Amino acid sequence: MSDQDLLRAYNYASFTRENVLPWLNFTAAPPLGETAPDFPLWRLDGTPTCLKSVWSRHAYTIIEFGSVT
Amino acid sequence: MNALAERFAPRDVGSYFVYTHEAHPGENYPHHTSWEQKLRHARDLRDKLGVSRTILVDSLDGACHRAYGSMPNMSWIFNRRGVPVYKSDWTDAASLENALLYFLDVLARRRAGERLAPFRVQRLDYRNHDRDAFYRGLERAGRKAVEEFKTAGL
Repeated sequence: MSDQDLLRAYNYASFTRENVLPWLNFTAAPPLGETAPDFPLWRLDGTPTCLKSVWSRHAYTIIEFGSVT
Repeated sequence: MNALAERFAPRDVGSYFVYTHEAHPGENYPHHTSWEQKLRHARDLRDKLGVSRTILVDSLDGACHRAYGSMPNMSWIFNRRGVPVYKSDWTDAASLENALLYFLDVLARRRAGERLAPFRVQRLDYRNHDRDAFYRGLERAGRKAVEEFKTAGL
C-alpha cells in the first residue's frame, strides 16, 4: 500500500464494515510483559515528543487512545 | 477518566490521551485530510469536550495507533521501563482503577522486600453500556455518523 493509500484507508471517510474492520487488530498488539515499541507523538502546539518520554516519567502511565468521534 | 487521572497523579501515575483518527467521521468532524485539521480536532477534545489530561497526537497515518491494535477507544498502562502491564480493548475507568491499585500495591510489596515474579492473566471486565450516551457522541460528529453506524451494524 502506498503512503497516500494508507493515509486514505486509515482516515476513512465513512464508517462501514469494509473501512473499519481491517484496522481492528488488538490480538496482534504488543504483548504484556515485554518492552513496547516507541513512536513519535506531537503535543497540541505541534512540538514533538514520543511515547518513551511519556512512560519514563511515571511509575505507571495510562495511555487512552481515541478521538472526538 | 479525568477524575481518575487526578486521583492517581499524586501516586506517580501519569495519564495521557493519544489522538487517533475519527472513528465515526461526520459533518462536524470529518475524516482527516491534513495534519492541521487533526491538530484542530485534538484541540477541540480539550476545549469543547473538557479532556484535561495531556493530549498527544499520533501521526496522520496512525503509526502508533495501528501498532497497538487500532481499537477506537482502547487503554494501556505502561510501567516506567515501557513495559505494558495492562491493555484493554475499551476504556473503562473502573477497570483501570482496579488495575492501578493492584500495580501500585506491587510496588509497595517490592519496597517491603517481597520477591515477586510476573505472570500473565486474562480477565473479562464489564463496563456500563450507555447506548444513549454513545448516540450523543455520534451526534456530536454529525448526522452522517449516526446513520453510518446504524447501517454498518457493528
